Amino acid sequence: MKHTQKELLALRDEVSEMWKLVLSQLEKSKQAFMNRDVELAHEVASREKRVDAFELKIDSDCENYIALFAPVAIDLRLVLSMIKICSTLERIGDFAEGIARHVINDECLQVDRALIDELQIETMFETVISMLTDSYAALESENTKLTGKIIAKDEVVDELYHRAVRLIADYIRAHPEMTECGLNTMLMIRKLERIGDHCSNIVEEIVFYIDAKVLKHGTKQSR
Amino acid sequence: MIETKKVDFFYGDFQALKNISMRMDKNTVTAFIGPSGCGKSTFLRLFNRMNDLIPDIHLKGECLIDGQDIYARGVEVDELRKKVGMVFQKPNPFPKSIFENVAYGLRVNGMRDKNFIEQRVEESLQSAALWGEVKDKLRKSAFELSGGQQQRLCIARALAISPSIVLMDEPASALDPISTAKIEELIHDLKKHYTIVIVTHNMQQAARVSDKTGFFMLGELIEFSDTKKMFINPEKEQTQNYITGRFG
Amino acid sequence: MNRKTSQSLAFWIFRVFGIIVLGILLWIIGFVVYNGIGVISWEFLTTAPTDGMTAGGIMPAIVGTMCLVLGSMIFAFPLGVMSAIYTQEYAGNGFVVKFIRVMTNNLAGIPSIVFGLFGMALFVNTLGFGDSILAGSLTLGILVLPLVIRTTEEALKSVPQSFRSGSLALGATKLQTTRKVVLPMAFPNIITGLILSIGRVSGETAPILFTVAAYFLPKLPNSIFDQVMALPYHLYVIATTGKDIEASRPIAYGTALVLIAIVLIMNILATMLRRHFGKKVKTG
Repeated sequence: MKHTQKELLALRDEVSEMWKLVLSQLEKSKQAFMNRDVELAHEVASREKRVDAFELKIDSDCENYIALFAPVAIDLRLVLSMIKICSTLERIGDFAEGIARHVINDECLQVDRALIDELQIETMFETVISMLTDSYAALESENTKLTGKIIAKDEVVDELYHRAVRLIADYIRAHPEMTECGLNTMLMIRKLERIGDHCSNIVEEIVFYIDAKVLKHGTKQSR
Repeated sequence: MIETKKVDFFYGDFQALKNISMRMDKNTVTAFIGPSGCGKSTFLRLFNRMNDLIPDIHLKGECLIDGQDIYARGVEVDELRKKVGMVFQKPNPFPKSIFENVAYGLRVNGMRDKNFIEQRVEESLQSAALWGEVKDKLRKSAFELSGGQQQRLCIARALAISPSIVLMDEPASALDPISTAKIEELIHDLKKHYTIVIVTHNMQQAARVSDKTGFFMLGELIEFSDTKKMFINPEKEQTQNYITGRFG
Repeated sequence: MNRKTSQSLAFWIFRVFGIIVLGILLWIIGFVVYNGIGVISWEFLTTAPTDGMTAGGIMPAIVGTMCLVLGSMIFAFPLGVMSAIYTQEYAGNGFVVKFIRVMTNNLAGIPSIVFGLFGMALFVNTLGFGDSILAGSLTLGILVLPLVIRTTEEALKSVPQSFRSGSLALGATKLQTTRKVVLPMAFPNIITGLILSIGRVSGETAPILFTVAAYFLPKLPNSIFDQVMALPYHLYVIATTGKDIEASRPIAYGTALVLIAIVLIMNILATMLRRHFGKKVKTG
């Protein structure tokens, strides 16, 4: 294999590593939230630095690769999509940290367990986690067949989000003293919804790399 | 390891190199870039004293290889050139067979042992990534090879006498893109065992193959730094203008 | 007149002149062959002249010319090639080399009769070789030396510098480079110089006049100190000073034909040699 290709693969491996890290951050933030595990939440918050460091490293590696090897065609698409995926992963990492902070700071731990269940927050977590896992698999296998399904899952998340808006509004009306906690929970759900959107973006980047079809415009219109 | 200290070089009255000090480490690839006539080839040819062939030249300053001044009195130029191999711009295989081309350097240096020569020829062709293509036609004329193969033959020829440094003077400028890519790949592999200095007109080539890059202009070394740094964030404006094509 | 017609007119003029030159050449050869072919026979080639050179063959002259060609080449070829190697490969471009080059060119411009006189003075008299193959060969050798040097220099110049650099860069010495790379590559062109020299030598009359050529000597030479007959001089003799010029006229044409044939055969041989080496140079 040519050394330029080796460099490119090394770059891809780095992104994979970052991907795994972000995925574990997300999973841990879910557990921290579901189990009210403040210690785990602290761990997530402190590991956010590693995600940021990864982003800086990959950014500069991509920069080097473009400057030194002037990639074209599929190589160029790979590098460009890596830059975007990496910044998107970093944002997902931020949200995972945000969720962890929510667990750490939340003074309304007494919010009804029933409400959490009603809001299907766990389902939302699981959906976005599976989106991130599946898109990783799509990149690794360079297979775009599954991408449609992954994007479809974002609609599930969006639906749950819109449902949550109504449910929390009802909850606040019924318990005016819990307004702040209700809004905090809403903000957290908003983060999950954003993670879903970012996962869709990643999928679009993967498709851009593999098929060179720009999905963005088509899906944006249908949204 | 190559080191120059305050080197000035003159063709007659014309000063081709001005006060150049730099250091090239063992097992690295150093590239020299710059516009035509900037002195980069002249500088390269200092290291195996190829400039000696030109009448009316003189040199000031020191030019050291492994700590030894190669322009000192008593230095055998032939011995120096065994240690410092060279590959030229145009492939220049001799009008001999492929085998004899590679064996040439061994023979002129007094090697008679047939088995050793055969073994060394094979090793050199292997190192130059040419063995697979020519092993069945070693007795054929070198002129039957394509331009890219001829250039790799010239590299094999240079490697046969086990130099520690290989100088390359625009080794791919006369070749097509595929052959060029092969040569570049080869340079990358050779770095493990040799110190390589390459002059190139092609900035992308310098970027692809080298660890460090020196930018020359009008006989001066404008900038010498890590290739990555040079191509992402050069220190000097002249360098920036040249590598971005805004030069002139 | 437009550009097209002026162009075609120009080409027509060139063509006509080309044909005229070719015509003259064919005319000469045809003339000699037509007049000379009648006397050519095995006997003509293998016997000595008889009856005051109005009958018999020309064998001694053929052998004599061969001896002189061979002798002069043995002398001039190595000397010329070596001095050309010196001026071209070693000497750089200093005053001495420029001087040698100018002198070589001057040497080439000296009329051949002067060489004859010089040869007589130096080889025949001073060195005491007498009228002999040795003296004649040396004289002819000096005559063609500039030609050999010039053609060899050109041959060496035509070897691209990159081959020399390639060899030197591998730690070869200058001598090794010249011997193993430059000379083999220049060899075909050096052979061309040899061809030209042979043609020149076999046709010269003036330099051998005072140094070797015998007016009439029906026996073959025994050593290099013997006199010999030579074709061009023999031709001159039977065409101008013979006892019966009219009677020996056909023999004169026959002699001319043989001379032309010998030069032609040597040219062909040398061309084959050149081809052979040209091929060898490629595959080594």
